[in-house]
Amino acid sequence: MTLPNSRNSAGRRVTRAAMLCSLASGLALLAGATSGRAEEPVLQTEQSDTVKLAPWSAHTILVVDAVYQHNKDGRTYIVDGDKGRLLGMVQAAYNANVVMTADDASKFYVGETTWERGNRGERNDLLAEYDSSTLRIIADEKLPSRALVTPKRNDLAISADGSYVYVYQMSPSNAVEVVDTKTHKVAQTVDIPGCALAYSWGNSGFSSLCADGTLANVSLGADGKSSMTHTAAFFEPDHDGIFEQSPSVTKDGKAWFISYTGKVYEAKLGADSTVAKPWSLQEGAGLKAAPDSSKPFEVTWRPGGWQMAALHKSTHELYVLMHKGTFWTHKDGGTEVWVYDTETHKRLRRMPLPVASPMVGVTQDDKPLMFATDEDTGDFFILDPKTGKQLRKMKALGGSLIFTLAPGEG
Amino acid sequence: MLPSETATKQGSLLDRLTETVLRRIAGHSSRRDVITRIGGAVAAAPAFMLLPVSRADAASAKPKAMTPFGSKAQAKDENACDYWRYCAIDGNLCTSCGGGVHSCPPGTAPSPTSWIGSCYNPQDGNSYMIAYRDCCGQDSCNEVTCLNTDGDQPSYRPMANNDIIWCFGTGTSEMYNCSTAAVIGKAS
Repeated sequence: MTLPNSRNSAGRRVTRAAMLCSLASGLALLAGATSGRAEEPVLQTEQSDTVKLAPWSAHTILVVDAVYQHNKDGRTYIVDGDKGRLLGMVQAAYNANVVMTADDASKFYVGETTWERGNRGERNDLLAEYDSSTLRIIADEKLPSRALVTPKRNDLAISADGSYVYVYQMSPSNAVEVVDTKTHKVAQTVDIPGCALAYSWGNSGFSSLCADGTLANVSLGADGKSSMTHTAAFFEPDHDGIFEQSPSVTKDGKAWFISYTGKVYEAKLGADSTVAKPWSLQEGAGLKAAPDSSKPFEVTWRPGGWQMAALHKSTHELYVLMHKGTFWTHKDGGTEVWVYDTETHKRLRRMPLPVASPMVGVTQDDKPLMFATDEDTGDFFILDPKTGKQLRKMKALGGSLIFTLAPGEG
Repeated sequence: MLPSETATKQGSLLDRLTETVLRRIAGHSSRRDVITRIGGAVAAAPAFMLLPVSRADAASAKPKAMTPFGSKAQAKDENACDYWRYCAIDGNLCTSCGGGVHSCPPGTAPSPTSWIGSCYNPQDGNSYMIAYRDCCGQDSCNEVTCLNTDGDQPSYRPMANNDIIWCFGTGTSEMYNCSTAAVIGKAS
């Protein structure tokens, strides 16, 4: 660069004299600042160390980022919801799933997939077990397989006592691998023909949703063998499918299966699951029930998104992302959150979101937080679940924030 | 699935395909068998469908679009998400990644299996069955990304679900790069 001929962005000539003048002024300021600090104590030498996380509060959550733009680089963030601060992160590669021990959040598991040489080489389907305070891997088990699908929460599940982790696989026949968390080995692989996903109930069983509109119920025997029952068909998948990410509670096996049109099928999951007659999200809000796929053009309020519902267990409140649209808009983000009492089936309140969100999450304590995201920017919103008011915003937290997991959920 | 009589037939055909595949799976087939059979079902489809469709025939009995997407779809720009055959696509358009509407970009390989949608073509007034075959072996391409959900069902209906990575048996890794949308037959 030849200084006399240089021009800045405004087109003004910058002379050599002016540059020298600026340099002299800068040196004078620096000298002054140095002399001002001279009386302060000299900094001591420091040792590098690693932060250990404080015991998790009810507002310490996991946020899964699928990073759709380069899926192999997926990750899970640990976030302090009270401060809107990132506490750490771990790898969650290629359509990963995450579950947490239900009682104390002391451990969490990441089901993920890598290839030995990036996009090639031996495929590794893994179940990594993490210590929640150090984020160190306790066990790193190689699995026979796992389903490669844009992650749904119920592609991975954990028993109430944390003794089993259930890994849904589709290769392409359908099965669930039952991982014993004590031995860190696959105890058995249960074929679930025509079914998918795992909704854990109790300490030794799970149910799966099936293509014929039934639930398959798998009981794991102490002898290492499993048995399966099916409910009667209670929904028609091609007319009004049930959202895969419908919320359920492992401890008591209660589930709220929400359909595309907004029907809510309350189920008691177990060796012989029962399903109650459905109630309607729209009717609970004083509206007409939405029609199924036979009238696809009708515009009305409908549930939709990815993590499209959340449950606050102690108050039996069901949070559902709602948007106005036609049938087949079941993956549209919610412009509002509607909150229902699962006992009265009535809507308690509705809250607009800062932007349409594909995800809603809620913590399980007495003063809960609610979560949402902006798909386009990766912003993460921490909201008041009573009013919808924004408490904090974590700007561009990730690339594709798809779901949250809070202690005590599930 | 869809309102008119034609649509009912279409739904039945899709149902039958899905049913057939799932019944095979239910029959405790080996995984290799299942891949072969799904691949066979998809690959066989073009053999009994007649393409291209006569414009004159289409004009004489033009059905209406049966879904909101179909009623707004266009037939000119295959790099746009509202291109008619993308009615149920979820992912990156291979047309924007060095491939084509039914061709994979160099360095990737097409999946022999796929899920199947049914889309309305506003140009000739017909609906076609579309195989959304993934191109595999490189990470996500991401030039033009679409999320269309006509007829998309949850993953317990795998042959109608657009979230599953269909990179089984490609000879590459199961890493998803982009999606194609091949016509495999007339749906109505």
